[in-house]
Amino acid sequence: MPIQILQGTLDLMILRTLAALGPRHAYAIATRLEQVSDDLLRVNQGTLYPALVRLEQNGWIQGSWGRTENNREAKYYAITKAGVKALREETERWRQMAAVVDKMLAEES
Amino acid sequence: MIRARMRMAIAKLRALWRRRQADEELAREIATHLALLEEEFERSGMSPEEARRAARHRIGGVEQAAQAHRDERSILWLEQVRQDIRQALRAFFRKPGFTAVAVATLAIGIGVNTTLFTAYDAVALKPLPVANPSLVVRLERWFANGSLGDAQYAFSWPEYRYCQHHQDVFSALVATSWPVRVRATLSGHRETRQLPALTGQLVSGNYFRSFGVDAKLGRMFGPETDGAAGAHPVIVLSYDFWRREFSSSPSIVGSLVKIDGTMFSIIGVAPRDFTGTSLLPEVPDFWAPASMQAQLVPGYDWLRAAKDDHFQILGELAPNAGLGRAQAQTAALIHQFSRTYVSTNPTLNVTLQHTAFFGNTSDPRFQAGVAAVMLIVLMVLLVACANVANMLLARGAARQREIGLRLALGASRSRVIRQLITESVLLALAGGLSGLALSIAASRLLREAVVRMLNAQLGSSFAFSLNLSPDWRVIAYALVLSVMAGIVFGLSPALQFSRPELAGSIRDETTSFGGRLHRSHLRNLLIAAQVAVSMVLLTCSGLLVRGLIRSQSASPGFDTRQVFLLLVDYGDNAAQSASVFHRLVSRLQKTPQLDSVAYGRGPMMGTWTPPVLVHRSGAVNGVEHGRTLASYASRNYFRTLGIALLRGRDFTRQESAAGSHVAVISEATARRYWPGEDPIGRHFQLDLHFNGKLSEYEVVGVVKDVRFANLTRIDPAHVYLAPNPQGTYPILLNTGMNQHAALAAIWGAVAHVDRNLVSSADLWNAQTMLIRPQRTLARVMALFAAGLALLAIVLSGVGIYGVMAYVVSQRTQEIGIQMALGARAGDVLRSLALWGLKPVAAGMLIGLACGAAVSAVLHSTLVLPGSSDFLYGVHYYDPLTFLGISVFLVAVSLLASLGPAVRAIRVDPIIALRYE
Repeated sequence: MPIQILQGTLDLMILRTLAALGPRHAYAIATRLEQVSDDLLRVNQGTLYPALVRLEQNGWIQGSWGRTENNREAKYYAITKAGVKALREETERWRQMAAVVDKMLAEES
Repeated sequence: MIRARMRMAIAKLRALWRRRQADEELAREIATHLALLEEEFERSGMSPEEARRAARHRIGGVEQAAQAHRDERSILWLEQVRQDIRQALRAFFRKPGFTAVAVATLAIGIGVNTTLFTAYDAVALKPLPVANPSLVVRLERWFANGSLGDAQYAFSWPEYRYCQHHQDVFSALVATSWPVRVRATLSGHRETRQLPALTGQLVSGNYFRSFGVDAKLGRMFGPETDGAAGAHPVIVLSYDFWRREFSSSPSIVGSLVKIDGTMFSIIGVAPRDFTGTSLLPEVPDFWAPASMQAQLVPGYDWLRAAKDDHFQILGELAPNAGLGRAQAQTAALIHQFSRTYVSTNPTLNVTLQHTAFFGNTSDPRFQAGVAAVMLIVLMVLLVACANVANMLLARGAARQREIGLRLALGASRSRVIRQLITESVLLALAGGLSGLALSIAASRLLREAVVRMLNAQLGSSFAFSLNLSPDWRVIAYALVLSVMAGIVFGLSPALQFSRPELAGSIRDETTSFGGRLHRSHLRNLLIAAQVAVSMVLLTCSGLLVRGLIRSQSASPGFDTRQVFLLLVDYGDNAAQSASVFHRLVSRLQKTPQLDSVAYGRGPMMGTWTPPVLVHRSGAVNGVEHGRTLASYASRNYFRTLGIALLRGRDFTRQESAAGSHVAVISEATARRYWPGEDPIGRHFQLDLHFNGKLSEYEVVGVVKDVRFANLTRIDPAHVYLAPNPQGTYPILLNTGMNQHAALAAIWGAVAHVDRNLVSSADLWNAQTMLIRPQRTLARVMALFAAGLALLAIVLSGVGIYGVMAYVVSQRTQEIGIQMALGARAGDVLRSLALWGLKPVAAGMLIGLACGAAVSAVLHSTLVLPGSSDFLYGVHYYDPLTFLGISVFLVAVSLLASLGPAVRAIRVDPIIALRYE
């Protein structure tokens, strides 16, 4: 059973993917997310594409048209300087948040 | 953070315009995505067919993804507004007829309103043409006896100087006189000639500098001219006068002008925009330093007389002084100064008034008048709105399926309402823009008409300063009005059609029998209101048109063709002008070509109605109070005008010359105050100056009743008094049959007495100058009213037609069934027509009541003997008019409602039954 993506975490995961692997097109990003999560995440196109637009409009990623190995045209997204900075900040924030949630859950049980 | 947001907003706004490209790119991206998925599935061993299906399944709804993408990349509501506007425009172009009628209807309503507002704006809102108009205030005084009007703005020069020296709340305080009329001769480099009578203003030396007015040509005078009296014989011309009299010749600067024996040099010309700061909408011909008063207005000493109120005071508030403090200080200063002289009517308070072109626009009477006219034209706009609402309702019936479909497909109600409101606001804006264009044209016509009328009345030298071109206020007004109109007429159809229960109406909503009647209340109300408004406008114009017909044949009751009025400007020096006047009169009396010469008030020239008191045994407490028209009339006055003397005698030569307290009264006056008695030798008292001081007069004669004060009615009461020996009056001349010789003789006599008088003299024929303008006025008023009424009736007709068309289209099936069951066409028709007439009847009753009320208000103004009766004696509740208009309205309504009804019964029952 695939799990739902938490609000706001998709952006972070996309940024991280692009930072680690370099420019990728949307299909590759989706595949990568599924691989990393051992197929626990199913990325819905209805959320992936809006997320890409959002990140692009924020200036964190930059899209440009290129060709795949099979010579198909595809839009490749690359992380920008501002994106790297944002990734750093967002990662930090996620860590803090996750720690807080963990702590809470630990106390409860 | 803020920069990031800005970047985002810009990106989103850009996306609004790059919509197609973005959509296309997304499609390409998704296509690749699909292809790659397919490849993956094929690699895992599926057949190409299976792979394609699996890929499609995996990727989910492509259209939803595209929509989510659109929502994300752009500003949602803006995107929607854009969609709404595009859809609305498409709908309009699909129905050009509907759109044209709706836009035209609104253009008329908004155009009429905007034109009126333009006039109000020019009169009351446009700032004076000075540097800081918002800071400029005009001093207004409040008298102990409560008198109102222009006198409230009048201050003396010593008062002005006192305030100027002691105040610290104004950055500048200036004084400007009322217009003074002078005669001048130009002694230019090349020519010497007599100029027409000039209107000038005396102003304090700081006038131009304080108001930031720089010379268009030459220079303006400055504060140095406030020094020694008579030391600065200079004048500045207004642009208007410079253009009119000197054809904009730049060489005029430096020329000399001789005014009343003093040489003045023209030192400059004011810029075109500076049309003066007067209370009256008249551009002065020139400005002169106040210190030149003795030279321009000889015989007076305004500069020293503390009681000679000839100046308005205007101040520019200092930056740090609030209005309140400035007002308190000014009032205190005027009060302090008032202790230095004795006044019979002391000033209680002084207030500061923000300035506009007219002085007394804050006068409640003025405001009430404006409000009343505004209300009338707003009614026209309301009728227009009601119509468009009805048209939308009728059209909406056809659109219900479309809207129901949108609701069923998941559009929210608010989204549908927004869509419908967008449509109506767009429609209204189109109407508003057309209305604005209409009103700009109308304002031009209006200005032209007013200028012509004033020129005809006041002579061709009058320069009208009101600027009727639209400014931002007018444009804003038109736009706000249209948006509001759009919401007013769009809201109710939008609410009705977006009702959720209508979602079920895709199938069968028109089948309901009368189930929708409760919702037609609103429509009926609209119709009733329209009919009521039309009824009021129609009765008013009906009465006015009947008045118009009478006015064309109304006779004043005395000779006008052979009577001429000689109006001469004798100057402002009272003693001197009286002596010139009497020399002129005696010269004319000795002219053999004239049948008869007299002087006194000219007929049709305004009214003077002092209170009158008659002691008489028959009256309550023995005293009869009232108001009467009063006119000064010399000996031979009645003979000259051809008003028959019925009893008694004319004034004697001696009485006429000395201004004895004797009077000749009209028949109606005699009947009113001495019914059944002989009035000769009786006495009455007049409060000539409205101050409670009574003067007693003895009746020596009775003359025939005539229409003297104005052409509209026979004077209800009129007393003719022997003239004041110190005054000057229009001279009345009866030329007899040989008019040509007589006119030449008149001009000869004027030139003989004083050559300079010729340029300022006007010779008016009573028929063409006095009677004709009144008939013209009646025509203009009737035309105006008829125009409004025509608009209203057309708008109502269209409205009734629209509603009937809608209702009938709703009931086509019902009618079909009735017909199929054997109902006779006539019965169905009758029931439909009656149903349609119900709100008409209600509206008509309301309209009749309102029309009668308007009549009553108009009627009540006739209490004053001098007021005009625009109906020329037609009865104010004239049954013929009221009845005729009602019949006419019923006929129009029937016609409007029968059209759709006839169409409905012609429909084949089979088709009607199948109709959805």
